[in-house]
Amino acid sequence: MGQDGGSDESGSDCEVKLVTPGESLGPAGDRTLGHGVGRRGDSLIATRLGYVTEKGSEVTVMPVKTAYMPRPGDLVVGYIEGMRANIWFIDIGAPFNAILPMSLAPGKVDFGATRDAMDVGTTILCRVQEVDESHSSVVTMKGMGLRKLNSGFVDQIPPHLNALVIGSKGTMIQMLKEESDCRIIVGQNGRLWIEGEPEGVRLVRDALEIVRETGHAPGLLDRIKGLF
Amino acid sequence: MANPLVPGLLRDHLSELASRDERVDGRSQWAGRELSIEVNPLPNAEGSAKVTMGDTIVYAGIKFQLQTPYPDRPDQGGLMTSAELRPVAGRHFEPGPPSPESIELGRVVDRGIRESGCIDVNDLCIIPGEKVWQVIIDCFAISDDGNLFDAFGLAAIIALKNATIPAERFDIGEDRKLPLTKMPIMCSYHKVGGRFVYDANREEEVGGDERIHITLGDDGHVHSLQKGLKGVFTASEFDEIMTVAQQRVTELKEIINNL
Amino acid sequence: MKMGGYGDVQMIDENGKRVDGRGPGDLRPIEIEVGVVPVADGSASIRWGANYAIATVYGPMEAHPRKISRQERAVLDVRYNMAPFSTTDRMRPGFNRRSREIGKVTSDALESVVQLELYPRSKIRVEIEILCAEAGTRCVGLTAASVALADAGIPMTDMVVSVASGKINGVVVCDLNKEEDNFGEADLPMGVLPNTGELVFLQMDGDLSQDEFQQAWDYNVEAAQEVHKVMVAALAKRYGGVQ
Repeated sequence: MGQDGGSDESGSDCEVKLVTPGESLGPAGDRTLGHGVGRRGDSLIATRLGYVTEKGSEVTVMPVKTAYMPRPGDLVVGYIEGMRANIWFIDIGAPFNAILPMSLAPGKVDFGATRDAMDVGTTILCRVQEVDESHSSVVTMKGMGLRKLNSGFVDQIPPHLNALVIGSKGTMIQMLKEESDCRIIVGQNGRLWIEGEPEGVRLVRDALEIVRETGHAPGLLDRIKGLF
Repeated sequence: MANPLVPGLLRDHLSELASRDERVDGRSQWAGRELSIEVNPLPNAEGSAKVTMGDTIVYAGIKFQLQTPYPDRPDQGGLMTSAELRPVAGRHFEPGPPSPESIELGRVVDRGIRESGCIDVNDLCIIPGEKVWQVIIDCFAISDDGNLFDAFGLAAIIALKNATIPAERFDIGEDRKLPLTKMPIMCSYHKVGGRFVYDANREEEVGGDERIHITLGDDGHVHSLQKGLKGVFTASEFDEIMTVAQQRVTELKEIINNL
Repeated sequence: MKMGGYGDVQMIDENGKRVDGRGPGDLRPIEIEVGVVPVADGSASIRWGANYAIATVYGPMEAHPRKISRQERAVLDVRYNMAPFSTTDRMRPGFNRRSREIGKVTSDALESVVQLELYPRSKIRVEIEILCAEAGTRCVGLTAASVALADAGIPMTDMVVSVASGKINGVVVCDLNKEEDNFGEADLPMGVLPNTGELVFLQMDGDLSQDEFQQAWDYNVEAAQEVHKVMVAALAKRYGGVQ
């Protein structure tokens, strides 16, 4: 999924064409297939419900909703779902859990002491280390800022709306941090960690609700500004 | 309803909010979510209701069946309440037999209706010793965002209030309305972040503790009580709950009578 | 579908007008709404004649229990259920063979279009609930499921559209209603891919000559195009954008 996500918070009025799965996108010609696009004979078809865009010769469909698919380097907020003697299973909001091996935990953890170090229900900030062909991912907590999150609150938005929350060149997230006086970390998996006074957290959550409900409609920045 | 994973931060956050007299969605302690009601949306039921409380959406349908009465109660009809929490309503579903939570849900709702005596079971008699009506209330959730107890209870009583006995279909005379002797209404209170709140949403239920279900009928008469889950509460907490429950029940009756 | 013996119930007159006023090729009125269950990843409701069904989709998610997960692709976990108050005589909740069968053929139909290989080792849940039944519930359920899957953003090569045609008083008609289903002579439900005309679901009961069979088939394929338009319009209404 593209990082720049075609965010519309500048208030542009371009008409977007909604396409449904199976809908023809015209003859293939020399166009290339991007995300959400398939081929049927000589034609291109949409394989997702979404908005069709053409960048150069690449045709893409930006889906209305998407599951989070982990990629190496992603910063994510995860919940510990279970453990064995030497690994933890982490719910990162993807179609399948990630694993955190003992060797990549924060600090030193002894074999068999995984539960003592971090129990079920713990919230962590971690980074996706690798993803194999079957989409199994390994996460690490060795790295700058990666840690257990012992305070604050985690809210969730559909991952494909992340780009809207960040805004072009980070303007949206900067404004949210300033107006709410909260620390905010945006996980690639659509989970946001928020810490601050309850009024500030409330403000951020309200802003996220607006993104969730009306994200794709133009004028998002103004709607969020309306909260302050 | 399997045991949901409770990320530790949720509980801490709920406590923090509670200490400032706040809730996750900005409501006040005793405020309910936005309520909407549809009467008789299901044509194949003999009475039905759809209740929406925030993002919780449920249906209740009334079906009548004929049955032979119990030998020790030859001129009394039957009443059965079934509450289904099917996988359609939530992400948190485990295949297999109904969980203790969903069984409790059914029983609490049943008790709220049955113990009030709102249905005159003698009135359901057709031929003493041989044939009586059985009233079956089926509560059905399609979206679970918490407090199915009250949603089911409300849908059930509204469906009953609008139910017609289908005598003609069974060749037993003319159709007539099912008479209700009173209108029991359930209000549920969950302990969230250390204090009780009304109409908990799913986040509050998952991160909360014990709960109390109160069914009140006419003039504040108490028909059933149930405390769920582990935990303790004080007499004064209970008094406060009873007071707000009476107010809420009055409000809800007003809403129902104006439907 | 009752077999034989009811040919004398008059359900269509000399002018081809059916009991509910429809002509032989007409569909019952259909209304579709998208996103009706807020807690689901995708959802849709359909009112089709007196049928009322809701489908919800959850996923893709971790495939539990482990034994159902497959290494190279996602699994579809489809449930079809009729609510107790959906029929004139109450349906007892619990295991139901017919529902189990319908769940299976629905799952097979959807597997033909969902790009399962994009989510190995995970599962996608599809829950179909019939809240009010009036003939053709399996078609209504399958159609609702397609819309719910699209709403959930699940990748598919097409959306499945399902319609049932049949025969009453010797006349082939499209989209059987309750009396026609009970007293008619044949029932042919189909699941069609509207963009290619391919079939993903096919069942048949009763007695149809080769010509009659062709006529019923054609009715279904034509009707599927009309239903598809309603599905697309419902999705457009929910998500805006030019259609």
